[in-house]
Amino acid sequence: MIDLEHIQVSYGKHEILHDICATIASRRITAVMGPNGCGKTTLLRCIGGLLEPTAGKVTIDGQEVGSYSAKALAQKVAFVRQQVHTDFEFSAFETVLMGRNPYQKRLQNESQADWDIVEQCMRQTGTWHLRLAKSHEMSGGELQRVMIARALAQQTPVLLMDEPVSNLDIAHQLEIMRLLRTTDKSVVIVIHDLNLALQFCDDLLLIHNGNLLFHGPIAQGLTTENISMVYGVKSHMAEGRIIYDY
Amino acid sequence: MSHKPYKSYKSSHANPWVVLGLSVLLAATMVVSCMFGAVDISWDEIVWRSPIFWQLRLPRVLMGALVGAVLSVCGAAYQSIFRNPLTDPYVLGVSSGASLGAAVAILLGLEAWLWGVGGMALAMALLTVLVIYKIASIGNRMHTTTLLLTGVCLTLLISAVISFLMVLNQEKMDSIIFWTMGSFGSSSWTDVWMLLPMAAIGIGVVLWYSRDLNLLLSGSEAAQSMGCEVEKVKRVLLLFTTLMVAFAVSSCGVIGFVGLIVPHAVRLLAGPDNRKVVPYSILCGAIFVLVCDTLARTLLRPSELPVGSLTSMVGAPLFIYLLYKNKKGY
Repeated sequence: MIDLEHIQVSYGKHEILHDICATIASRRITAVMGPNGCGKTTLLRCIGGLLEPTAGKVTIDGQEVGSYSAKALAQKVAFVRQQVHTDFEFSAFETVLMGRNPYQKRLQNESQADWDIVEQCMRQTGTWHLRLAKSHEMSGGELQRVMIARALAQQTPVLLMDEPVSNLDIAHQLEIMRLLRTTDKSVVIVIHDLNLALQFCDDLLLIHNGNLLFHGPIAQGLTTENISMVYGVKSHMAEGRIIYDY
Repeated sequence: MSHKPYKSYKSSHANPWVVLGLSVLLAATMVVSCMFGAVDISWDEIVWRSPIFWQLRLPRVLMGALVGAVLSVCGAAYQSIFRNPLTDPYVLGVSSGASLGAAVAILLGLEAWLWGVGGMALAMALLTVLVIYKIASIGNRMHTTTLLLTGVCLTLLISAVISFLMVLNQEKMDSIIFWTMGSFGSSSWTDVWMLLPMAAIGIGVVLWYSRDLNLLLSGSEAAQSMGCEVEKVKRVLLLFTTLMVAFAVSSCGVIGFVGLIVPHAVRLLAGPDNRKVVPYSILCGAIFVLVCDTLARTLLRPSELPVGSLTSMVGAPLFIYLLYKNKKGY
């Protein structure tokens, strides 16, 4: 269970997040939505312990995020971010294997169990055939799926995802979203596609100008009024889908 | 995709046989290097305690091996910390910073004090690293061009300051010039005993954190969310690598590009995993600098080339090639 208690984040005078309070339920997929630059990624970084909020606190399973050791937190929370290529040529297999770091002692070699977990996670994300490919030999979508495999290999109860499907084609988007449905993780996902979110997510954190506008079941949150207010886009619902008017 | 056997991508630690092989090669290189110089020494003389061997050749060979190992291991570490295959202590200006510190120490007459030159070199090298690191940590991912240009500018600034100091203090010019062009010509046992403990501790620290270096390559935040204590690891590594560079430079001057060439060559053969790159670079770096120094003192006998000019003649073209390859992108 993730508790956000009065989270406020400011950079200098500029306030990014204002007094966010929410309890994110376990084993559900929570979509974080809102227009570009509204503080979604900042919120995710706070939950992942990568950014200390200016005020307020984040607790996971009753313990404040900042008080976990790096490895203990990495056994609780995995983070998939918007992907960048590196100039160093690790293979996909080696990349996913890094996700096992929180469970390894320094100087210790990986065990058979680690390798088995890596293989399983790569098969789950449909990247096993890419295991020997280097980062620059993969397409953006393939790389993204490798990064998801790495997060899965961390075997954490919480999975944070910052636009994990934004540069995937629709088939792979669906594959990843289906995969998320089959895990029993608590997933917090930044996602832009309203209909995809509506179809696959349980809850919604709707952020508007740094304020939490709505938190609850996604079907109740993605109303035409909220969409109009947050995005300034007119829409209507038809057969449970959001249709944009233009 | 090729179908290599499963095992081939499972081994992640250094292969003990490779380490053994490289160690034997290093030992052989040291013996051969001991025999050649302005005066060649025969095998018999080595055994029969020739004073040239004991007082000049052996400390020089040991220094060559130590400095090679140190610069290579620092190059490997810098490349992971700055997430850039084109960095090393020389390119980033850290070596030049150390040489400025050494020059200032000489002008202030701190030579007499055992740690005077090393200490000043360390202080200036740390200052340079700090400047680089501050600039490098602006924004999420540093642009190669910005990082390299910062290093080049710092190097230019520092060499300008050194020239300035030299003109003001012409009587000490020779001993300052020495620091700007690396050479093992005056290496003594004192140098060996100064550098050895620093090198042993520093190399140990880098080996200890070699897996964290892999994680750092994914970026600070990614590394942190995989359980790496990023800030601590970076700080410790930068401190100890800079310590090693400063002491290497304060005993033998600036030897360029070693930290760039060696880890890069190792990576081509052994892949990017730092648990291999770091130990292999230590041994290969020692061998590389020994070979260069042996060539430096034998090619134009009886006069000597500065070893730094040899390593730069190999390193600079490689650097330009890498820059070109990098710019083409993937």
